[in-house]
Amino acid sequence: MSLSSLTKPWEPMSYGFLDPSAKRELRRKMLKAVAVPGCQMPYASREVPMARGWGTGGLQVSLTLINPKTRVKVIDQGADDSVNAASIRRFLARVSGAPTTLDTLDADLIQSRHRIPEEKLRADQILVLQVPNPEPLRPVEPNMSIARQMHGDADYGRMWLQLYEQIVRSGRVMQGASYPSMVNGRHVMTPSPIPRWDVPKLHMAKHLTILSAGREKRIFAVPPFTRVEPLVFDDVPYRVEEHGQLTCYRSGAEGFFMNEIPQPDGSALHEISDSEYGVKHIRTAQGEPDARGETWYQNGQMEDTP
Amino acid sequence: MQPIPTPDETRANQNFAALLGALSRPGQIHRLAAPGEAEIIQALIDRECRVFSADPGLGAMLRQTGALMVEPQEADHLFLGALSDLALLNLLSLGSDLYPDDGATVVIQAGLSQSQAQTLRLSGPGIETTLDVTITGLPNEFWSARRDLIRYPMGFDLFLLDGADVMGIPRSTMVEVF
Repeated sequence: MSLSSLTKPWEPMSYGFLDPSAKRELRRKMLKAVAVPGCQMPYASREVPMARGWGTGGLQVSLTLINPKTRVKVIDQGADDSVNAASIRRFLARVSGAPTTLDTLDADLIQSRHRIPEEKLRADQILVLQVPNPEPLRPVEPNMSIARQMHGDADYGRMWLQLYEQIVRSGRVMQGASYPSMVNGRHVMTPSPIPRWDVPKLHMAKHLTILSAGREKRIFAVPPFTRVEPLVFDDVPYRVEEHGQLTCYRSGAEGFFMNEIPQPDGSALHEISDSEYGVKHIRTAQGEPDARGETWYQNGQMEDTP
Repeated sequence: MQPIPTPDETRANQNFAALLGALSRPGQIHRLAAPGEAEIIQALIDRECRVFSADPGLGAMLRQTGALMVEPQEADHLFLGALSDLALLNLLSLGSDLYPDDGATVVIQAGLSQSQAQTLRLSGPGIETTLDVTITGLPNEFWSARRDLIRYPMGFDLFLLDGADVMGIPRSTMVEVF
């Protein structure tokens, strides 16, 4: 054994920012997360040049998966051009040399904050979701050691109690984003703060989804073709946001998840949340070839709601 | 300046993509960059790991990663080579209901080429309905022993290796023998 066999050649920076040992740890944890769908696996969560809580968990997963051929798309609440998405996309490209894209259909790796694109993802694509609070039990059990025991026992009665109380108080389930969902019939997970509209997209999807919380240091996954069932009562069906009838005032797209833009006169305009899908819609209307892919929702309806 | 991955990084990245693809789609065959366990070791193992190797040929490489060489019951990654003795399975760490991630990752040499031998039917996460695969070279009672050991979410995750071909069988996969 010589000294040179124990050292590596000098580099100005590790490829993809993270050092090899950080990547190996993430790889091992990602495999375990895939092996037990929906179960939160603790991991080290290294420092990245971004404040915790701004997508550092998703960023670390992306940095581990990325190579110079990976085409990356980053979205924030559906938009490619918000500050968070633009900064993460620029950082990923800068430390990996990977090409970037805004088109969902072109991307190999999609890192997202709080939305799943409207166009269907394929088997060769990986979706990375940034998760602020990975623990679905936190509202009902703030002690994380007890919460872990509850996951171990599949003791989720209080989750239903929480939903029941919402129905009793308000007449409907008030949980908007992060709707607790049962994965593979065993672990309840938070799907990250995606709207209720997006949760059915995870059910028996073709793509792999990795959810990573950098601040909370936990990672979990939804492999392809895995059951993801929102917690519901038999007699109170799961309802997505009533956006099926809304029309985007900019693109004219109809039947997708919308952002509400309040107007001075008290009314509201609606704008499609998946910005690139809206752009494609406008381009098609202007006579360019239709680049829109197949969408999960058609005419405001999920094709087969679980 | 365009960042350029080192050969080690490229190799680990490519092999991990194969491993992640294999484990998230059980029964599908994915290809490592080169044949052999060395590819998996290079992508996953470092001095935070406790490993067991039944194949003395891997000892030098494993020691160089800095991993602790331990007995099978303490190992988080096991390289069992061509498995002949089922008793080893009883020693595997299965994790706990609280920490399923402590369950072992097991790499075994097996035959993955299509033949008329024992057919298995896989179902579970990663498989749309069911998937029939042929796996040869494992002891007869292997799959029933696996079924008896796994108490989901406790369990171990398998990588079956045939040259550069790798197939993942996570603990969540149901295996029926025909």
